[in-house]
Amino acid sequence: MTLDTAADLLKLLADTTTEPRPDPQLEALTLAVAADLPVLLWGEPGIGKTAALNQLADSLDLPLTTVIASVHEPTDFSGLPVIGADPAVHGVPMAPPDWAVRLATAGRGLLFLDELSTAPPAVQAALLRLVLERRVGALTLPPGVRIVAAANPRGSAADGWELSAPLANRFVHLQWIYQHEVVVRGLGGTWPRATLPRLDPDGLPGAVAFARRAVCELLTARPKLVHQLPQSETKRGGAWPSPRTWDMAVRLIAFGTAAGTSREVLSMLVRGVVGDGPGLELLAVLDRMDLPDPEVLLADPAAAVLPERGDLRQVVLEGVVEAVRGNADRERWEAAWRLLVRALDDGAPDLVVVPASELAGLRRDDWPLPSGIERLAGALNVARRAASA
Amino acid sequence: MTTDTAKTADTAKTMDDAKTMDTEKLYAARLHAVRVRPYLASALFALHVVECPATPTMAVDRYWRCYVSPDFVARMPMTELAGVWVHEVSHLLRDHHGRGDRYVREHELTGPGVRLRLNIAADCEINDDIYGDGLPSPAGAVHPAVLRLPPGELMEDYLPRFRLGPFTDGYAWLDCGSGADGGERPWDLGPDGAHGLTEQERDAVRFRVAQGINGAPGRVSKGWRRWAEEAFHPPQPWRELLGAAVRAAAASAGAGDDYTYGRPARRAAALPRVVLPALRRNPPRVCVVIDTSASVSDEELGMALLEVAAIGRAVGGRRQLLGVVSCDVAARVAHPICRGEGIPLIGGGGTDLRAGFASALRTRPDVIVVLTDGWTPWPSSPPPCRTVVGLFRRRGGEGSDHTMAWPPDWARSVRIG
Repeated sequence: MTLDTAADLLKLLADTTTEPRPDPQLEALTLAVAADLPVLLWGEPGIGKTAALNQLADSLDLPLTTVIASVHEPTDFSGLPVIGADPAVHGVPMAPPDWAVRLATAGRGLLFLDELSTAPPAVQAALLRLVLERRVGALTLPPGVRIVAAANPRGSAADGWELSAPLANRFVHLQWIYQHEVVVRGLGGTWPRATLPRLDPDGLPGAVAFARRAVCELLTARPKLVHQLPQSETKRGGAWPSPRTWDMAVRLIAFGTAAGTSREVLSMLVRGVVGDGPGLELLAVLDRMDLPDPEVLLADPAAAVLPERGDLRQVVLEGVVEAVRGNADRERWEAAWRLLVRALDDGAPDLVVVPASELAGLRRDDWPLPSGIERLAGALNVARRAASA
Repeated sequence: MTTDTAKTADTAKTMDDAKTMDTEKLYAARLHAVRVRPYLASALFALHVVECPATPTMAVDRYWRCYVSPDFVARMPMTELAGVWVHEVSHLLRDHHGRGDRYVREHELTGPGVRLRLNIAADCEINDDIYGDGLPSPAGAVHPAVLRLPPGELMEDYLPRFRLGPFTDGYAWLDCGSGADGGERPWDLGPDGAHGLTEQERDAVRFRVAQGINGAPGRVSKGWRRWAEEAFHPPQPWRELLGAAVRAAAASAGAGDDYTYGRPARRAAALPRVVLPALRRNPPRVCVVIDTSASVSDEELGMALLEVAAIGRAVGGRRQLLGVVSCDVAARVAHPICRGEGIPLIGGGGTDLRAGFASALRTRPDVIVVLTDGWTPWPSSPPPCRTVVGLFRRRGGEGSDHTMAWPPDWARSVRIG
């Protein structure tokens, strides 16, 4: 056997094809990188984080620079002090390492900090400045450089350190989970190829307004969510809410909205910056903003489109009754009845029961029963049978 | 002949009757379920009903569709039907299909009976705490007692403890659908069908329900409270948490491997004009205080002690840097382990944890690791070193949990077991 034949065999092995496949993880990663936020990929060793980074660099057309954080010394990130001829006059410059100089010269690139969680605390402290201020010693990385880091979950990092809370607060945390079918199909020779999100240039101002409104609405109602250092042992080293991460959430929602991404991807991103609980509350606000406005529904019940999902429909109908309660007159009251009757046309009758009984309670003595109310009889039957239990 | 035809016509007629579903009864049952379990309202309303004669009873899929057999609705009393609604939505809220898939993959289970076993185990987890209080248990519901298993445990706990056999024969018809056990059914509409919920929507519904339960825990059963606490933060194995806490404590400020400019680096000779920091090893002195009453099992205590010893070695501690202070009851466990590992046993600290702290501090440790059940007085001021508390869950009733004296804020606590 000669090495030529071996090379032929290797070439055959490397000959794989790709197929398009939606990949929410990669989409989330791309959006966060586009939004110029540092991303931290959490995943077991050997599940293709680096491969994903290669694909991302290819598709964004950025050169990839990989730095294994755990084998570097703090000075590789904070700069080496070099004593000149006269330190009292010139000071002591902090010299950046070669990879940083090359990145700065190129002006653009994807910096991949691998094995972040196994880096000793002093290295992590030096990385704080790199990740937040993009400074390596005396050198500032140009805006065209994007930063992605990877870490192993502490269960699998043999001698892993814990990510400090300040460092964790600077990243978008994405869980990198391997998918069984993708791996099996990939080993068979076909790897997935994700279609990357594109920003819609006309939708930018709207996207920013939408994102700001959502976050402000939540934080006005829930001031406690603004800043919460992780307390419980399970949440340490992960995403947690602070003004910095809420600002990141605004940015990510704006990017997600402009790119028209799914809620799935937005959910990963938002939960990845402010944590699961606050992230889910923010998503609930987004869901509510999607629901029709009660006042609009009351203004024209005939044209009303109610959500298909029962639980959302229930929320809308309750909102309508609340709106009537807040400002009750006969016209609005009758419009609300018409909405309830409409809700019966294409939905389950039990949803209408509670709003109907509340609306009935709002009736003034001189208001006659609205027309069409007899159609609610079926719903009332449902209520009667439920009550007879 | 005529009677035969009449009979056929008759059967056809009952078939026809069965085909028109009594939706009024079905929705009345859902309304009843919402009234007696208000915290499940958004989850119950989020289910999309699909009429499906092929389903033996009621079944859910992982996209929150609920397949209902008209025949089943006709023969169930309304209140029992309400119980079935809650039962089915519980499968989805508790992510039984996802957990079932994971279990099957991890244990490489195959064979036709697997999904039935998953369904039975999932039903055991649900049925011991959702019924009662306005919801009668439907006839023939699986209960752990039927399989001679204790109530109050999780699907994963029940699974390895029974096989399909005489006890489970009666449940061969049991079918809560792919939402309960992850196995595809012929009637499933699949991911592309109409009215399915996406993963994010499912999470949102589960989050709303968990928030409702956490907001008003008084009226909610213990099983649901536990679910709500853990819905988005599943408990991690305590070994990892204890390990991370001890490692972080041992690595911080002044101990462990870290860089320092305090002494020249080995690379310095090669780079004469550059000042390099050196990697300096400063192994932490760890002292373990074991304070325990007889309520903690020897096995758990032994595992925790071995774990701490292993971490102590991993972060660079030599044996003489790891000490153990033991109270009298725990000495029985600590002695053999310390002898086996070559760890000095520093001596009894009495039964008061404050005395244990005092004798531990005499060894001037960097880290104190306390293994306790928490039922003890704590020092009033923080010790001059980092403290990690491994908290054993007290045996004998979870009701005692809230009367437990919690470790103070200056300690990092990890629940063990």
